[in-house]
Order: sequence, then C-alpha cells, then structure tokens
Amino acid sequence: MIQLFHVTKSYADDPPVLADVSLHVEKGEFVWLTGPSGAGKTTLLRLLFCAEAPTSGQILVGGRNVNRLSQGGVPYLRRNIGVVFQDFKLLENRTVAENVGFALEVLGASDTHIRNRSLRRLDQLGLRTKADSLPARLSGGEQQRVAIARALVNEPALLLADEPTGNLDASLTDSILELLFDANARGTTVVVATHDRTLLSRYRRRTVSLDRGKVVSDA
Amino acid sequence: MMAHIAWRHVRRAAVNLWRAPLPSLVSVLTIGLALFLGASFAVGVLSARKLLQGWGAEPSITVYLDRAVTGEEAKALADRIVSAEHAQSVRYVDQAQAMQRLKTELGDLGGALDGLPENPLPPSLEVVPAGSPGPAEVRALAGRLGQMSHVVDVDYGREWLDRIEALGRAMRNFGSGALALVLAAALLVVANTIRLAVYARRDEIEIMKLVGATNAYVRTPFLLEGMLQGLAGAILAVLGLEIVQRVVIPRAAAAFSFAAGAAAPHLLAAHFGILLGAGAVVGLLGSYLAVARFLRA
Repeated sequence: MIQLFHVTKSYADDPPVLADVSLHVEKGEFVWLTGPSGAGKTTLLRLLFCAEAPTSGQILVGGRNVNRLSQGGVPYLRRNIGVVFQDFKLLENRTVAENVGFALEVLGASDTHIRNRSLRRLDQLGLRTKADSLPARLSGGEQQRVAIARALVNEPALLLADEPTGNLDASLTDSILELLFDANARGTTVVVATHDRTLLSRYRRRTVSLDRGKVVSDA
Repeated sequence: MMAHIAWRHVRRAAVNLWRAPLPSLVSVLTIGLALFLGASFAVGVLSARKLLQGWGAEPSITVYLDRAVTGEEAKALADRIVSAEHAQSVRYVDQAQAMQRLKTELGDLGGALDGLPENPLPPSLEVVPAGSPGPAEVRALAGRLGQMSHVVDVDYGREWLDRIEALGRAMRNFGSGALALVLAAALLVVANTIRLAVYARRDEIEIMKLVGATNAYVRTPFLLEGMLQGLAGAILAVLGLEIVQRVVIPRAAAAFSFAAGAAAPHLLAAHFGILLGAGAVVGLLGSYLAVARFLRA
C-alpha cells in the first residue's frame, strides 16, 4: 500500500526533516509511527497525502508514484486516503452530518446518498443523535469521532492519523483507537503517528520509530 | 457539471453569505463604493466635456468684407455660405448698420462718430454654424470662409476656442488617467477585502482539499459568492447614482447657474447593465485572485 524509497525532505539550509527514509507498509496493515517531537512523523504523513513533495526519493501510495502525480491528480489520490488530525479540523459552521458528508460531496454524490451514508456512519460511531448539532456543541472525544467518521465515510483504502488522541483523556483515547482498529479489521490500511509510548505497549502492532528524520527501528 | 452539483454550489454560496454576513457586507460595500466612485467620475468627466462642447458651439463667426463690396455681392456671398456650409443663419450687416450698432453701444459718446469724414467700419456677415460643432469644426469653417472672395478677415473668438479646446484635451487626458487609477485602486481594495474574507475561511479550503476536492470544486462557491457580492455592490452603486441624478444634481443646478446646462448625461438601462456586469466581473476576479493564493498551498 505504501512504499518509500530513500525519501528525503528538507527545507532551505536546515538539516533534513526526513533523511533517506525507506519503508514498506502492506495492504491491511496497522502501523504505529512514533518518535519524539520533531522526529518527522507529521512530515512523513504529509508526504503520503501529497500536502508536500519530497526533496528526493520516490513515494508510491496504492501503487501510484506521487512524484509523478500532476497537480490535477492529487485530489483523486486523496479520495482514497482518509486523514485524521489532533485538532479534528471540523468545519464549525456545518452540522455534524454535513461535516461527515463533506467527503462525499466532492465526489459528486446526490444529497440523499450523502445524508444516508453519513447517518449510517454516525450511527456506527454512536453519534446518530448529534447529526444536526454544530461541532462546537460536542465534546473533544465526540469531535474526533466525527473527524474519523468523515475520514472513513467513503471507505478509503488508507487511513492516516496524526496524534488522533493527543487532545483526549485515557478513556476517550481507548474509544478512538477502537474505531481505528475496527476500520483496520475491515481492511483499511492504518498508519497512526503518536509520541505516546504507553499506547504502543498497550496495543502491540508494527511500530516504526523515527528520530531526527531517520528510521531507527521497525518492529 | 451535473445539475445537482451546480445547485449545491449555488446553495452553498447563498448559505455562506447568509452565515457570515459581515465579511460579505464589507465586500458588497467596498465594491458598491468603488463602482459608485468610478461611475460618478466617468459621468463627471463626460458631462464636463459636454458642457465645454456647448460653450464652444455658441460663438458665431463674423466675416468682415471688403468695403467696396456691394449689397448684392454680400447677399450672394451669404447665400453661398448657407448652401455650401449649411450654416444655420447668415446675417448681412452693412456699413451703416455697423455704425448704428457702434453708436448705440457707445451711448452718449456716440455723437463723436458723427465727425468722421467717412464710415471706417467694414460690412460683415454674421454666420451661425449649424448644429453644435466642436472647436475644431468651428476653426475649419472659419478657415474656409476666409478663403472666399471679398472676405478680408474672419473673427471666431479664436483664443476662447483655443482655451476650451485645450481644457477639453486636458480633461480627457486627466479624466482617462484618473479613471484608470480609480478603477485599479478599486480593484485592489476589492481583491484585498475579499482576500480577508477568504482568509477567514482558509480552514474550509484546507479541509475541502484534504477530502479530495479539485481546485475547481473549491473555487466555484467562492466565485459565486464573489459574483453575488459584486452584483449586490453594483445595485448599491446604481441606487447611489440614481439618488445623485434625481436629487443632488437638480439642486446643484438650481444653486449654481453655470451648472444649469450641465445636467449629467442621463443614465440608461444599458449603463446600469454595464455597472452590473462590472460588479459581477470585479467580484469574480477579486474572488479568483483571493482563492488562488490558498489553492496553491
């Protein structure tokens, strides 16, 4: 699903944020991406959904070489990737259902289809009753579940999560991770960046550790 | 584009305008003010030029004739001027009439003229050109009249015409330059105002791109909003111009007699159409430029 070949990312004269990273993630895998702050976790995820381009090296996502992707091709790649952030990135002026349906809107789906799929997804996440609320009325945990619902609503092949539990307490963290494991169990490849080492020991999965832009362990 | 997507964009644009009325209002007012100022300026320059043209057309041309010319010859010349130059009127003033006029003008001093051994005043033709010719046409006509037989001199208020002409030229140059400047400044202000409004919604753009929206998809509602704001601004500008035309100018004309002939060129439906079109284009262009910045990111 993901292949990185000698990928380097650097900005101007600063030391590289990622240095000669090579990595393979198989379809259907669940991978923790860990390391201290500034290790390059977020940058690696951003390269995968084409928010940035590598300085050198090759990246393949779902068999497509992102370096060769034209500007117009990026949106089509992203439709197969769900992304979840620490700060949720929900649209404050849209209802929960509208936020979830947003990912389907850009695909050109009909209003009825969008509404039905969004409600079904919210139902699965226990948020059906909040469908018509604005995000500001929801707790942090609920907002993150909405963000995950949005990321998963069009059943992407790949789910990237950047510190998805960073703002949440322990019990909410568990419920969010359950959602990610659940998506993985249904076939979605999941890569989760976190600096919280307790999660890694509690939920043992393949763990790629980064430090100062290099892969220091992969086990 | 499928109809339901187009309809969704229109709906989204309307909802966005409704949900964030303040930035929209600022954009609408900015566009309205810019169009109002630009249009007022254009109308001002046009009506000032019209006023100048009106003044320039008024002086009649006095054609002084050889003193030896007979009344018949002078009348024949007058007829020729009427037929060849399509003059509105040509009036023959013979030597005796000229002397009488001078006497009348001098009033009590007129008696002094009685002592002259002979009448020194030349006979003349007073030519009123047809229509309302501009300074250049009056000058050309005077030149042609000067070439005719028995004509000694032609007086057409050359200095006056020269000044009016120079003033008209200066006004045209200054007017075009200043109008271009006003419009460029207006477009910049409008683009910046819209950019501020778009900046407040950069998260929305980021999320749209994140979930796989193409640039065209992201841009469309913003363009529609810009266009609607531009149209609303243009309507404001039209209302402002109507008020100026119906209320301010008549009062100004009553207060300043020189402006009496300066009624602004009446604004027609076509002019309003141009303003609405300009508003829509300014709104579209402003939004396009504003969104382009965030699409690159």
